[in-house]
Amino acid sequence: MPSMKAIKNRIKSVENTRQITKAMQLVATSKMRKAKERIEASRPFFETLSMALSEISKNNKDFSSPFTREEKEGKACHIVIAGDRGLAGGYNNNLFKSLCYKDGDIIFPIGKKVLEYFSKKNVSFFTTAYSVAADVNISDCNSIGQVLSEAFLKGEFTSLDIYYTGFVNVLSQVPSSKKILPISTSENEQEKVQSLIIYDPSPEAVYEKIVPHYISGIVYGGLCESIASELSARRTAMENATDNAGEIIDSLSLKYNRARQAAITQELTEIVAGSNQ
Amino acid sequence: MNGFELQIVTPDGLLYSGNANKIILRTSEGDVGILPRHSDYVAPLSIGLARVFTDNGERTAACSGGMVTVSGGVVRVVASTFEWSEDIDVERAKRAKEKAQSRLADTKNGDFEHRLAEIKLKKSLARLGASERK
Repeated sequence: MPSMKAIKNRIKSVENTRQITKAMQLVATSKMRKAKERIEASRPFFETLSMALSEISKNNKDFSSPFTREEKEGKACHIVIAGDRGLAGGYNNNLFKSLCYKDGDIIFPIGKKVLEYFSKKNVSFFTTAYSVAADVNISDCNSIGQVLSEAFLKGEFTSLDIYYTGFVNVLSQVPSSKKILPISTSENEQEKVQSLIIYDPSPEAVYEKIVPHYISGIVYGGLCESIASELSARRTAMENATDNAGEIIDSLSLKYNRARQAAITQELTEIVAGSNQ
Repeated sequence: MNGFELQIVTPDGLLYSGNANKIILRTSEGDVGILPRHSDYVAPLSIGLARVFTDNGERTAACSGGMVTVSGGVVRVVASTFEWSEDIDVERAKRAKEKAQSRLADTKNGDFEHRLAEIKLKKSLARLGASERK
């Protein structure tokens, strides 16, 4: 049986750990609320953009754009969004498990953990300028959209997709992926009517100008969802850790009390034995 | 009815929703003014000033990226950034301008970093321009 002092020390250290995990849980909870609001606020913007894109391709006869051209060969580029830090349960690992890439593909990492994960793999990085997910803001996303669409036009890669963690609710986050380029035009064989909307300067030009924003929109949306997911994953993980610490403390204090009682009993027995002689 | 319904949407949410009499925007083809009863219209925006005229006077903003749509008399500005002149942090814009200029000088034309610096410079210039016209 460990000594009372040893047990007491362990209780103290577990208590300290519990304090830390509790604090992390609270921080994640309050940040998560903000992240959720950000998702809500950003939605109308991107819905309008993607609606405009599909409207253009739908309403214009003989519409063609380099962004909708499918090509079989060539490299793929993957945008991967994960966290900067661990201690978020399976958040990072679940996403990495869902990844689907080939050797030689180009990776656009967002999040330090992504950079670490791919540094030992046989892939090239598009840029590592945005590897800290917490620092990426909307204007960064705009630049990302701009350079990615330019690189696509230049033929540096022929398909673009994004891996992120979708935020379903506080308890459930799902690793998801989305194809960005080439944009699939839904040929629903609806009657194509010549639209009455004026496109300045031309439908194609408008389309090509909007695509970078569309990309940045998807990246920003994915980023917002990933951050909210990371925070709620961390919150859950830290909540469990706090609960576990509580359980350990409970069982340790039981042990401590037993050890204390045993010591008292032993002392009593010794005294009684001594007085009888 | 004089005026039209104007909505300004950014990724941070709905920035403005209400009546306006005129709006001047920098599109990719140049400055465009939209008056009431404009026909349906779509144009991409570039980095520049936006001026909104309402019954309470004129307001200026720095605006970048996105598009403007007119459909059924409702004007929607979908911009990736849209900052009213009074909200602009002038010091920050000035610093961004200097930083972008030195980055432009350091990098080669056509580089990834060079292109980024170019965009940053344009944005900071638009912000400074908007803040001067309060």
